[in-house]
Amino acid sequence: MARRTGIKFVTAALLAAALASAFAQDAPIRIGYAIARTGPWAAGAQVTQEPNYIMWAEQVNAAGGLNVKGKKRKVELVGFDDRSEAETVVRTYEKLMTSDKVDLILPPWGTGANFAVMPLAQKHGYPMLSPTATGRRLLGMKNPYFFALLQQPDRMMSALAEFLKARNVGTAAMIHVDELFGLEQAGALEEAFKEKGIRIVEKKSYPIGVKDLAPVLKDIQAKNPDAFVALSYPPDTFLVTGQAKAIAFNPKVFYAAVGTAFPVYRDKMGAATVEGVMGLGTWNPKMSPAAKAYFDAHVARWKKEPDRWASAHAWAGLQILQQAVEKAGLDRRAVRDYIAGNEFNTIIGKIRFRNGENVSTPGVVSQWSGGEFEVVWPPQNATGPSLYPKPAWK
Amino acid sequence: MGFWLELAASGLITGGIYAVVAIGLNLQYGLMRIMNISHGEFLMLGAYLTWLAYTVLGINPLASLLPVAVALFLLGLIVYALCFRRIARTAPSVEVIEARSLLVGFGLMFLVQNAAYLAWGADLRGYSFLAEPVEIAGARFMSNRLVVFAFAVGLSLVMLAVLRWTLIGKAVRAMMQSPAGAQLVGIDTTVLHPVVFGAGLALAGVAGGLLSMVYEISPSMGEPYTVTALIVITLGGLGSALGSLLGGFILGLVEAFGMHFTSPSLKMLLSYAVLIGVLLARPRGLFSR
Amino acid sequence: MNTREALAATLAAGALLAAMPWLASDFALALALSCLMYAGLAVSWAMFCGPTHYLSLATSAFFGIGAYVTAWGFGTLPYLGAVLVGGIAAAAFAALVGAAVLHLRGAYFAVITFGLGELVRHAITHFEKTYAHTVGRVISDPPEAATIYLTVLAVTLAAVATAIAVRASRLGFALVGIGADEVRAQTLGVDTRAMKVAAFTLSAFFAGALGAAMAVRWTYIEPLSVFNPFIGFQTVLIAMVGGAQTLVGPILSSVVFSLLTEFLRLRFPYAFLILLGTLLIILVLYLPGGIASLVSRLRRAHA
Repeated sequence: MARRTGIKFVTAALLAAALASAFAQDAPIRIGYAIARTGPWAAGAQVTQEPNYIMWAEQVNAAGGLNVKGKKRKVELVGFDDRSEAETVVRTYEKLMTSDKVDLILPPWGTGANFAVMPLAQKHGYPMLSPTATGRRLLGMKNPYFFALLQQPDRMMSALAEFLKARNVGTAAMIHVDELFGLEQAGALEEAFKEKGIRIVEKKSYPIGVKDLAPVLKDIQAKNPDAFVALSYPPDTFLVTGQAKAIAFNPKVFYAAVGTAFPVYRDKMGAATVEGVMGLGTWNPKMSPAAKAYFDAHVARWKKEPDRWASAHAWAGLQILQQAVEKAGLDRRAVRDYIAGNEFNTIIGKIRFRNGENVSTPGVVSQWSGGEFEVVWPPQNATGPSLYPKPAWK
Repeated sequence: MGFWLELAASGLITGGIYAVVAIGLNLQYGLMRIMNISHGEFLMLGAYLTWLAYTVLGINPLASLLPVAVALFLLGLIVYALCFRRIARTAPSVEVIEARSLLVGFGLMFLVQNAAYLAWGADLRGYSFLAEPVEIAGARFMSNRLVVFAFAVGLSLVMLAVLRWTLIGKAVRAMMQSPAGAQLVGIDTTVLHPVVFGAGLALAGVAGGLLSMVYEISPSMGEPYTVTALIVITLGGLGSALGSLLGGFILGLVEAFGMHFTSPSLKMLLSYAVLIGVLLARPRGLFSR
Repeated sequence: MNTREALAATLAAGALLAAMPWLASDFALALALSCLMYAGLAVSWAMFCGPTHYLSLATSAFFGIGAYVTAWGFGTLPYLGAVLVGGIAAAAFAALVGAAVLHLRGAYFAVITFGLGELVRHAITHFEKTYAHTVGRVISDPPEAATIYLTVLAVTLAAVATAIAVRASRLGFALVGIGADEVRAQTLGVDTRAMKVAAFTLSAFFAGALGAAMAVRWTYIEPLSVFNPFIGFQTVLIAMVGGAQTLVGPILSSVVFSLLTEFLRLRFPYAFLILLGTLLIILVLYLPGGIASLVSRLRRAHA
């Protein structure tokens, strides 16, 4: 009995070894990441980032695999929930990089999580292309393995200031969320507005999770500014939109930073209500055939639209990684050097990095118009005309 | 209307929202000393059910409130039977009941939240209902917020009336005062406890349904509401239905006026300062029995 | 096991654990770090809340204060200095606040202590924003992984040793008396207020020190993530599931909990909280004495 089992065992082992050696060349490329599937970061991560990661891996594998210097190998994603906790982010990437020794990594969602991974990325030599991390502080770390895809606050706020100047807007009121994001955007806005001679008549900030901003909006309404800018997160964006409508606060320009680019903004508030609202965006499916193809694929795969801001940056980051691996292989140092030293074609146009910052994609202003978040400024990047002044709330 | 009145009205309306969230939790704690820290998760379920009914079946959210209440009541009976009945039976003291039900509450919180993530994904959802402003005495308010306020007051008054004048309400109050005494006069706790627990969950679900008209929903929306509910019922006095209504109003007013005089950033500081202050003066809350 | 034996065992365990940075992988070390941190938090929580039956959710506040001390002090203070100051700052806060809120009990106390974390978070956010024009601090040159680990190990060992000492001291007996019947303790001449504040302060010190020690791992410290209420919840969970009146319970429980959570998170990337929640409920319902009761049951069976 034991001998028969023994023979079976040996045969199986030999067969396995033979099969293994036959497949050895086709071992998958393991790409690891931790991302928020639960917790406060999850809402953003699951709209903007992880769906793109998964879709990209599926598309790549459907085409035979990732091209590594001429040879195609399948991609295997190794993803975990970071529970929106910095400590879990750190621990998971430690595991991915040192125990699992994955070939490449993809970044987590948000500035805080990216900060947490950066030292590890440098220590273990894993390049990271981040579509949801912004801020001078991040770039100030001068981490050679970190590449920020989003346009930095100064660019986006300068674009807004230019737009306002071009429409002869003289006064503005600004509120911002009490977070690094809000503060950096506010700082960039103040500089840009000062440069263009736009006077800020009211400036207030509020904590995350605020449930009522009507008193603040009423105070601002009384000052009658030409433009209203909320440097807000999605829940506050929804809140100020609804409450501004309630009190019939109709400035000529109404801008809410984050959340306006999410399809749910248009769907929840209603396309008629959001008409004319401006915010942080970068693209829409009308920009190019490639953008349309990406949009359609996303809708087909996930039954929901990608957002009009960072979703495209996430996809662009994956395109860049793909092109880099094709030319530089899986030597991570070589991949990093290739990313740092070349220009890439992506669905949001050409991208080149300098000191980790994407210096190619210009700052733009987007606006809801006819059910789509059009890019309306600067004129050379516009996908549609701007609505000025913003029509009264419907 | 006058600036101050309008500010006060705004605060009361927000306070009504806080109160409606707290009613169910107060019932469960007041009677059974069950600190249901997963309260917000059932509020979240009510919100999702209402949203589904509206976006998929086209059912008016206000019409969904009753079915949602019934569904969550039944869920409450099941949850009580599976999770809390044993604690009541085996715990040697009230403190132990509180402690163990707190732990079970955590477990439920993880469970229900994660189930929601799996079922509906982490994305923000929402719909627009009664989002038109209405003008009252020269001041403008959002219709849906007014509706929530009306329900908050209405439900609280109904709750107060039930507790005071109906037989079952008297039974509940008797049980709150003296469990042993109540049993001696024939009040059946084995029936009453699950019913009250179910009612608590049903109220959470209704609160969720109402809130879904005003705010966006996500699987993680529950926790902040649990926190708010805890503050409100602590402020008002644990177990007091009137207390949680008034506690909610007070909180809303403090926030509204605080935001105006200082800045929105300080509103939380003010709220907590008020809470700590109240508890220093009256350690059992404002209206405790 | 008497006090001296317990202290000796603690020291021995500590010596063994101190070897880990040179034996274990980065990830295993990170896991051990997590176990140690929660062991320290749970043991110090149980120091006060175990015998007195208070339900404190203030751990998040203390931990966050410690973390922020590191955020502000890193660079000026040496790492160990920041850890010490973090503990002291948390302790000072506890002493101040304890005097005001320790007369509350049960759910009231729980809600107030929960609020403390939120209160401090908002206060710090406001202060930072207004005077420092920033929210969140960057730590650009953190200490070595081994240093962090050994520091956390040292703080946890100190917490355990303190817990052992307290249990055998007058303070410990006073706490048990307060937990049994506070009024009677007072009539017997115990200054219950002073004892409670003392124990509350002591437990806060370790929570603050641990926060200060761990913060360097995250590079970017912001109020929202360091004053995470989940830390407070998890500490209470671990201590109570372990058996808050015992010494060994919270320690065992923190190891089991940390490893179990990690295993579930890695193995079931989408549904692990459902499993964890279910396990927790089953545990509380069918093993109400906690893990410690399981241990003593086994011990008695083998006696």
